[in-house]
Amino acid sequence: MSDFFLTAEAEPDEAVKLALRRIDEAQAAGQGSDVEGLRLNEVVVNMGPQHPSTHGVLRLVVTLDGELIKDVIPVVGYLHRCKEKLAEKRTYFQYIPILDRTEYVAGMNCEWAYVMTVEKLTGIRPTRRAEFIRVIVGELSRIASHLVAVGTFTADLAPLGTAMAFYTFRDRELILDLLEEVSGGRMMYNYLRFGGVRYDLPSGWVEQCRDVMKRMPKLIDEYASLVDDNAIFLQRTVGKGVISQQDVVDYGITGPNARASGVELDLRRTRPYSVYPELDFEVCTAQHGDVFDRYRVRMDEMRQSVRIIEQCLDMLPRGPVQSGSLRAPYVVTPPPGSCYVGQENPRGEYGTYIVSDGSRYPYRLKYRDPCFCNLQLFPKLLRGNKIADAVSISGSMDLVLGGIDR
Amino acid sequence: MDVFLEILRLVVCVIVAYAVVFVAALVNIVFERRFLAFMQDRHGPNRVGPHGIFQSIADAFKMIGKEDFRPAFADRGMFILAPIMVMIGAVAVQLTMPYTKGFTPGDLNVGLIYIVAVTSFTTMAILVGGWASRNKYSLVGALRSAAQMISYEIPMLLAILVIAMVVGSWSLNDVVDAQADYKWIGFYMPFTFLLYAIAAISELNRGPFDLPESESELVSGYGTEYSGMRFGMFFLNEYAGMTIMSMVAVTLFFGGWHGPFEDALVIGGVAIVPFIWFMVKTYILVFALVWVRLSLPRLQVDQLMGFAWKILIPLGLLNIALTAAVILWVPHWRWGLLVVGWVSFAAFVGLFDPILKRRLRRQRERLPVVSS
Amino acid sequence: MGLEVGTLKVTMDEIAADLARDFAGDLEDVRIQEPDTIVARLAREKLKDVARRLKAHEDLAYETLNFVAAVDLGAQLESVYHVYSWRTNTWIELHVPVPRAKAEVDTVTDVWPAADWHEREAWDMMGIRYLGHPDLRRILLKDDFVGHPLRKDYVDLAENHPHV
Repeated sequence: MSDFFLTAEAEPDEAVKLALRRIDEAQAAGQGSDVEGLRLNEVVVNMGPQHPSTHGVLRLVVTLDGELIKDVIPVVGYLHRCKEKLAEKRTYFQYIPILDRTEYVAGMNCEWAYVMTVEKLTGIRPTRRAEFIRVIVGELSRIASHLVAVGTFTADLAPLGTAMAFYTFRDRELILDLLEEVSGGRMMYNYLRFGGVRYDLPSGWVEQCRDVMKRMPKLIDEYASLVDDNAIFLQRTVGKGVISQQDVVDYGITGPNARASGVELDLRRTRPYSVYPELDFEVCTAQHGDVFDRYRVRMDEMRQSVRIIEQCLDMLPRGPVQSGSLRAPYVVTPPPGSCYVGQENPRGEYGTYIVSDGSRYPYRLKYRDPCFCNLQLFPKLLRGNKIADAVSISGSMDLVLGGIDR
Repeated sequence: MDVFLEILRLVVCVIVAYAVVFVAALVNIVFERRFLAFMQDRHGPNRVGPHGIFQSIADAFKMIGKEDFRPAFADRGMFILAPIMVMIGAVAVQLTMPYTKGFTPGDLNVGLIYIVAVTSFTTMAILVGGWASRNKYSLVGALRSAAQMISYEIPMLLAILVIAMVVGSWSLNDVVDAQADYKWIGFYMPFTFLLYAIAAISELNRGPFDLPESESELVSGYGTEYSGMRFGMFFLNEYAGMTIMSMVAVTLFFGGWHGPFEDALVIGGVAIVPFIWFMVKTYILVFALVWVRLSLPRLQVDQLMGFAWKILIPLGLLNIALTAAVILWVPHWRWGLLVVGWVSFAAFVGLFDPILKRRLRRQRERLPVVSS
Repeated sequence: MGLEVGTLKVTMDEIAADLARDFAGDLEDVRIQEPDTIVARLAREKLKDVARRLKAHEDLAYETLNFVAAVDLGAQLESVYHVYSWRTNTWIELHVPVPRAKAEVDTVTDVWPAADWHEREAWDMMGIRYLGHPDLRRILLKDDFVGHPLRKDYVDLAENHPHV
């Protein structure tokens, strides 16, 4: 019975207890919100795991003083699907589809990170055509992911107040259609293989992709025209939730969140992989590191991704898409050792650390997830802001709980 | 006997008022959902009836059929009372509304003040409901609602005060009569209308001022714990409120039921055509409300309060002073008001947004460049 | 302005030589993993001190912790720290062996704040206790979970599945 009925004696869980303990400590230290002897009680509120704007199942235990946020304790793990444990019982090859399901908004990039790690462990090298195809699908995936990020972020500011989320999700379908045609799946691709990709591009796909890329900049301008010049939007975003460069260094913030603070950290440039050194693109940065800058950096990155894809389509060489034999190696047995390869995911540095014992199964597989690292900064960013800012800041951080919880 | 007839008349009026509230709400819900869908490039509800016009009736049946659910620790009496209370405002306003030539359910000589008084009743119900739910989101939402009501009641009252000064009466019928022959107050006092409109949107808790139920932060604010028909009552009230507030605005600013062919069709002393004009004007304003909600992001609490206390209230007071001066000292004061009204309207619309944006841009430039 | 990547141009051999010189006796088995990572082993008693010195090193300055991975090597556990140096744009991978019986190691949260959640995850999954950690709770699993599932000797317990 007690599982289904709330009783007055129901005990709070560890995170809430911690929040209550911190309030008591602050009161004892004389830093509580007492005003001239009048004891004001802070309120501990659970935002999530079921909450309209936590983008999944993030839970924030928020200590509020009126509208003001005193303290935040993020609680994660509600979407934990034992991805690291699963690796123990699957061969390297069988594990590829699991990667799509970690950070499900940009599955292609996650697969890529894993495949690169295994390739580095085993010494398999992908063919040149496969490299270009990987860059194309990776960047398509990046645009799709940023569309979701920007759309949900504006939707957080007012769910019906701006139609932008609907526009971005509509246009994301254009890209998902392209990816579906290539791989057979809208979001769960299972497309990359060790030493190549699963299928070659279907006929007519290149023209179709070129067509979408021609439309994309106009569409991005359209989104920008909806909100960029809106006084309320600016009021809600400018100067809020500033990430300093010290935070970037201390907490290992990566991706657009770091670049919005003026750090030119982009693994495509700083630790070049695949054919990125041959491509001409800019690392988009902004200066102030606030919510608005993070939004702007994402918008700019989409434009750069379009540029990259167009170059790749022009440079796309002929040849096989799988190195070695025509079929992908089903069984790979890397020599004993460990290796980590980071890859520039739309949210930051995503990578897998793999320990191999020479068998067909990964001995240990550990994810380095950008959102997991970015979320650590949350309490620091939110403290002293309003509740409404909690939503806009978390929207601007672009968290995907599938990646955090694994 | 007279007393009996009067009571009967009042009972009928109340029933009709309730009916109007329900019908208006049902129509508005479908209208808004379809219109939002159109603007957002999607279909919206289009299955129940032709073009989905019966969607809200289906929704109403669903809500009535739902389990009567009450949270375990809620304050029972208050929790049940709030959804009942919430309708009072919307219904009570209608009882003094001049619908058409020769028909006003109850003509009060203090109609203007009465409107302001009873519309705040909704907030009272929200406060009760939010408190009784024993949910922190509800409580925050309810308190936001109270704070918002206190702030925006004042600019609204300041706007209404100007009308009373011009018309020289507190009666709604007098206000409508004063606007005969297209001397609509909204035409020569557009700035007052703007003040009223902003305050009214805020009173309605609609976007961009929908903080009490801001769904992205507070789940759904004061209504978080309500479900079924209890939620339905809050929902109906919100949407009926759109029509009611528009009716008030039409009465105060756009000539009420005045329009061409006023006496074309009169049945039992009640003119029909003016009623149609009244509703047409009302729904033009409802349309505008939906449009505003759709195009603006939500404000933040401090910004909302700042807007009321730092901008609207000083401007409202200034408006009163100017109007009073014009009425006192300018010979043809209606012309004077026309000039003053449009100049201040143009100044506000033309300057407010650019100034705000310039300030924000400056603020942005002044932001420190982050570095280690 | 501010933070830049790879301002110091050095080869991996030079970095390895620098490390061998400045951390002689601390870092063992220093080797280069192409193209840009140094792998080294480290005794757990020296971890905190070496971490501080690595961060404060005037040329290399390993400032940003990328992740902490806990590995069960059978005979012993291992805590792996992956740290980034902005100045040289290279990484260092520190392998810290932790005995199975007494799986404890000093925390590095006061050196690299980013270690906070990663250490909690390692505690949660592998049962390595990080001494001095400010808030060592379970992170991905529920509060009352029994055992540390990524250890190779973990047996699934019925009390971890109360609703099955």
